[in-house]
Amino acid sequence: MTRTIMHIDVNSAFLSWTAVHMLQHGSSIDLRNIPSIIGGNQATRHGIVLAKSIPAKGFKIQTGEPVFQAKQKCPNLVVMPPDYFLYMQCSSALSEILQNYSDKIQLFSIDECFLDYTGIEKILGEPIKVANQIREQIRKELGFTVNIGISTNKLLAKMAGDLKKPDMTHTIYPEEISAKMWPLPVEDLYMVGRATAPKLKGMGIHTIGDLANTDIELLKYKFKSWGLMLHAYANGIDESPVHPGSGHTVIKGIGNSTTVYFDVIDKQTAYKVLLSLVETVSMRLRFSGFCCSVVAVSLKTDELISSSHQKKLMTPIDCTNAVFKEVKSLFDEMWRGQPIRQMGIRVSDLYTKDYIQLSFFEENWDKQRRLDKTIDEIRIKYGSNAVIRSSFLWSGLSPLEGGVVDEFPVMSSIL
Amino acid sequence: MKVLMKPIKMIAWFEENGKLMPIRYQLENSESEKISVNVDKVLLMQEEKLAGNKMFIYKCQSVLNGLERIYELKYELYTCKWFLYKM
Ligand SMILES: [Mg+2]
Repeated sequence: MTRTIMHIDVNSAFLSWTAVHMLQHGSSIDLRNIPSIIGGNQATRHGIVLAKSIPAKGFKIQTGEPVFQAKQKCPNLVVMPPDYFLYMQCSSALSEILQNYSDKIQLFSIDECFLDYTGIEKILGEPIKVANQIREQIRKELGFTVNIGISTNKLLAKMAGDLKKPDMTHTIYPEEISAKMWPLPVEDLYMVGRATAPKLKGMGIHTIGDLANTDIELLKYKFKSWGLMLHAYANGIDESPVHPGSGHTVIKGIGNSTTVYFDVIDKQTAYKVLLSLVETVSMRLRFSGFCCSVVAVSLKTDELISSSHQKKLMTPIDCTNAVFKEVKSLFDEMWRGQPIRQMGIRVSDLYTKDYIQLSFFEENWDKQRRLDKTIDEIRIKYGSNAVIRSSFLWSGLSPLEGGVVDEFPVMSSIL
Repeated sequence: MKVLMKPIKMIAWFEENGKLMPIRYQLENSESEKISVNVDKVLLMQEEKLAGNKMFIYKCQSVLNGLERIYELKYELYTCKWFLYKM
């Protein structure tokens, strides 16, 4: 049966979300209309550009480049910090609206969804008309814009949504592949990354059309099964279903670090800072539906000497307290009393929760897990500071350190 | 009307159906004097969910310095904060 799939993608997501939030709170400027970016923590000096406005794009500012470099390109650049709780809130408001149009919705990343519209044409109407309706509803109610791509599978829908931005609906139906997709440069094809594109170009493959018409045996020889997949994608072939519910995102790890505005010289304060990092990291870990089996801690002293320690765990974990327990023991192993300026934690080696077997020797974190779930829900609904640990009261420290992120699932790699 | 978005102290009540109604609030004038303002009439109430964040907007009428004025108040659900939004 021919399917109808829509891909909904928020235009400059982090930037628009922050812009709309500011407007709602009386800001006279709309970040979307001036050169602006969402950038990681600048104090640590390795903040990167997480999102940019269209005017910022005019200065050749690129997502992923260091904030200071972006500022060199545009001295008047407005830099705003990311607000992940706001972004989660926007993401769930988006999927709430989409649920009115189909019960098969896959949250692909924080700002992208697939919607299976197969069979719903008869009830709600033509896909293009309905996609325009969805866009309008999102713009009116939530204040930001999306692109919607429509086709018969997820790959083509996603490629269509990327065609021209912002606030547009596009189709790439199979009969439109040669006209709309093949003329595009090969690096625009989903999954052709920075590593693959130069190799393809070296083989004389410059457009998606070139790739689609390359001998499949040659691709198989050069790239193994990866080559077969690229060939299929270039020809618009993808059979993957819309997985309702969870996103099938691939992230390597989740990390967070902070520069303390004073030197930390005692263990209790260090623990508090670490805990504030653990709170946001473990919440993001749970939000993405993973458990981690590696925990790492890094420190930088007042003399800017860095060190880090990591530990492999027998059983993957996702509870705030479980992560914190490991973080504390790693910290104790490495800290010799030097004044600390910067602290970071990172979790990696992620597993989907479905495959986790509880070891008999580990503590039972079930109760803890339920508590975490409740707290997460309260924080998503009522804001990040709706519930905080009493140890942060009067401490002058922030209960959730949420400034920096290095590997948030902005981009996923499995359809 | 100009956007002010000034946090204000508010007395409000909840009606039986759960509707939240502003009654009286405190403002600081240009001489930093605190003045109380009675909400004489709520002309319009709207809900917005921009960026997924729920707020209620009230178009109100009050007498300020002997003059009848129309302005807007805003209430943010998750922070429980009232603002003088536009005047
Ligand atoms: Mg996007």
